[in-house]
Amino acid sequence: MASENTNEIWREVLESAKVSVSPAIFSTWFSQTHLTKLQKVNNRYIAHVGCSSSFVKTTVESRYFGLIQDYLIKSLGEKCDLVFTVKQVPNQKSIQKEGEAAPLFKQEKIQEEEIARVLSQARIRPGFTFDNFAVSSSNQMAWAAAEAVSKSPGTAYNPFFMWGGVGVGKTHLMLATGHSLLKRNIDSNILFCTGEEFTNDIVEGIRNKTTQAFRNKYRKLKALLVDDIQFIEGKNAVQEEFFHTFNALIGAGGQIVLVSDRPPGDLAKLEERLRSRFEAGLIVDVAPPDFELRCAITLIKAKERGIEIPMDLIHIIAGNISSARKIEGFIVQLISEAKLKNSEITEDLIQLLLGKSIEENEIKKKASPNEYLSAVCKYFSVGKRALLGEGRARPISNPRQVLMYLLRTELKLPLQEVGRIIGGRDHTTVMHAVEKITHLASKDVQTRQDILGIKNSL
Amino acid sequence: MKLTVLQESLSKALSLTSRFSNPRAQLPVLGNILFSAKGNKLILTSTNLETSVVYSVGAKVEKKGKITIPAKIISELVSNLNEGQIKLTSEKEQLKIATQGFTSTISGMNAADFPEVPSQMDKAAGSLPIEPFLNALSCVIFAASNDETRPILTGVLFIFKDKELVLVATDGFRLSQKKIKVDGFKADLKEKRIILPKSSLTELSRFSKEQETFFLSYQKENNQVIFGFPDIIFSTRTLEGEFPNFEKIVPKISKIKLRIDKEELLKAVKLAAVFARDSANIVKIKVKEKEIVLSAESSRGGSQETKVDARVESEEKLGKDGFQIAFNYRFLEEFLHSMEGEEVEMKLSEQTAPCVFTDPKDPSFLHLIMPVRIQS
Repeated sequence: MASENTNEIWREVLESAKVSVSPAIFSTWFSQTHLTKLQKVNNRYIAHVGCSSSFVKTTVESRYFGLIQDYLIKSLGEKCDLVFTVKQVPNQKSIQKEGEAAPLFKQEKIQEEEIARVLSQARIRPGFTFDNFAVSSSNQMAWAAAEAVSKSPGTAYNPFFMWGGVGVGKTHLMLATGHSLLKRNIDSNILFCTGEEFTNDIVEGIRNKTTQAFRNKYRKLKALLVDDIQFIEGKNAVQEEFFHTFNALIGAGGQIVLVSDRPPGDLAKLEERLRSRFEAGLIVDVAPPDFELRCAITLIKAKERGIEIPMDLIHIIAGNISSARKIEGFIVQLISEAKLKNSEITEDLIQLLLGKSIEENEIKKKASPNEYLSAVCKYFSVGKRALLGEGRARPISNPRQVLMYLLRTELKLPLQEVGRIIGGRDHTTVMHAVEKITHLASKDVQTRQDILGIKNSL
Repeated sequence: MKLTVLQESLSKALSLTSRFSNPRAQLPVLGNILFSAKGNKLILTSTNLETSVVYSVGAKVEKKGKITIPAKIISELVSNLNEGQIKLTSEKEQLKIATQGFTSTISGMNAADFPEVPSQMDKAAGSLPIEPFLNALSCVIFAASNDETRPILTGVLFIFKDKELVLVATDGFRLSQKKIKVDGFKADLKEKRIILPKSSLTELSRFSKEQETFFLSYQKENNQVIFGFPDIIFSTRTLEGEFPNFEKIVPKISKIKLRIDKEELLKAVKLAAVFARDSANIVKIKVKEKEIVLSAESSRGGSQETKVDARVESEEKLGKDGFQIAFNYRFLEEFLHSMEGEEVEMKLSEQTAPCVFTDPKDPSFLHLIMPVRIQS
């Protein structure tokens, strides 16, 4: 029963009791009671009466049991039993909760503020920590190394070089390393910058004749985190300055973390002496996320936005979107769509958005439907004629459905158009196929590999 | 009821039991003490509905009976009587007192209105020697809060461990923790965390000094703890709620460790207090290589500075100005009063992190004080 209701009933009982007993007795005993619970078992109510102390409990129970029972029966209109317990009145508790934490226990918060301040000083974007970094076999090595670096900066792996494609989590790992370094020692002097910012700083320094200030800024750091280091490639003055900064930092026991899209060996226009120095440390590649990792990322991102998505829907999203950033974008889209339409997040909604797709603004070489057709034929080793024919055996229908899925999601062809290409089929057939493959992609490893294989062969 | 009792013992019993009655309570019977004669004992009971005390006095009982008498009147009367025998006789709702050359009649109230209080130790869950317990209590109780807006902090936390009883109190600015070795408790107390109100414990420590050991029992369903002494049964309610997670805030690392003579530090704190009183109680401490400097200033009064020799171990080199930190002098003073050793160890890490105070000879005691933030 709702709590207002129990409160209401109890107030009624107390009001009536007030009439029968003296004010002193009422304020000493009755006002110290409340109704904690009201249960109904077989046409009888069981009322749990909470008393503020054992004295109240024994007195009320031994002396006013009948009185309370009478009034309660009148209020409820049914028979009822009483159970007495010692329990503080709930509103008294709320007072203490409202009070702010005492200074001694507030520290955590102070520390957090402090951390936020130093984070912004170090130009580290908050929100990227090891806690919200999902790990699987594709990035395990990089993650373990980053953790080791954050635990013993300057000694574990120096320099620490990460490379990998777009959106695989390199920068996240680097920021998390910085975050954790600062958390361990709030006073450590750390700076996060991109290769481009480093370049701009030097140019600024040279133009304003403040190269000394630049050197002071970079060479006294405890840890320097440089994102997209490949941008200094081919810029001689910048490379020289970076070389000296690098030496000064390493000499003083500072930690250097670098991120690039290629391994140092592939940075063709990088000076030899820099390359050899980069190669002296630990070089780790971060591979694109696999399906399980994408699921984990989807979960984390959804949680960060404060929504819960059921596991099967997570699988659909992770199975159909390949990069972490796209997943994030998709979730934003999903939430705003759900809010706009005031509907819940359902499989249909996800299918709809997947159809519209995220790749709309992407510049991509679009293969023609025919190319897809031949790619699918080649991949599954089936004849074109059979694929477009009437046969409904699985070895043929499955590739056909994959083809429809690809035409629909990759080329955004209208349903009818897809139907026309696949040997003049009805648009509902296409709808069914797209739906089926979307579903399979979330569950079946084989299907995912097939789709990836076909995409790659184009 | 008809009995004879000695003035000395009755007076002592009344001075204790009258402390727990409240003449201003809305229910008049709570301002009374319950007298009941049974066997060869006169039992006095009083309660303020948070705590209760039951005190047995040896007596020559001729007739059993019960009556409640206003605490103030009877204790004033009895304390002014001469030593010797006193005859107590109840007649309906009146009590007659008679000694040599003195008679009095006091109107009381029916004993049936008096609330039921725990008068027996049903099953003791453990016993403790009183002296170490009271020592431990005095080490922590001053740190408990008086602020009723945070009721939970007005209590002292008891943690019953296997061979150890841990007492903790905090008011949010400082925290005191003391451990006592015990023989072990029975199952219903083991691993329990109970919070008892500071006020009840203060009363307890006041009257239990002469005792040797006591028994302890916890009635979870009644939110009640009972302390049993040979003649006295004392019960108090427990505080409901979550005690703050104090284990988490004890700093684990320290950058500076120092040892100081306690008396000298106390003296320095008292000197600083002269000016600190006018300026938000702040006393600044500068830690240098071989000494610490306590200073306080007030805009009107003036300023002072005291140097105290200290053995300082620091991870980082202390510069010319040393490491600065500021405290409320009252916290330092109260802590220094409470501890027994001759030396104090301080562990500092940051200006905004709590400072750990310990007695190097007594690892069971730990005190934390939150520093005051100062603008540098």
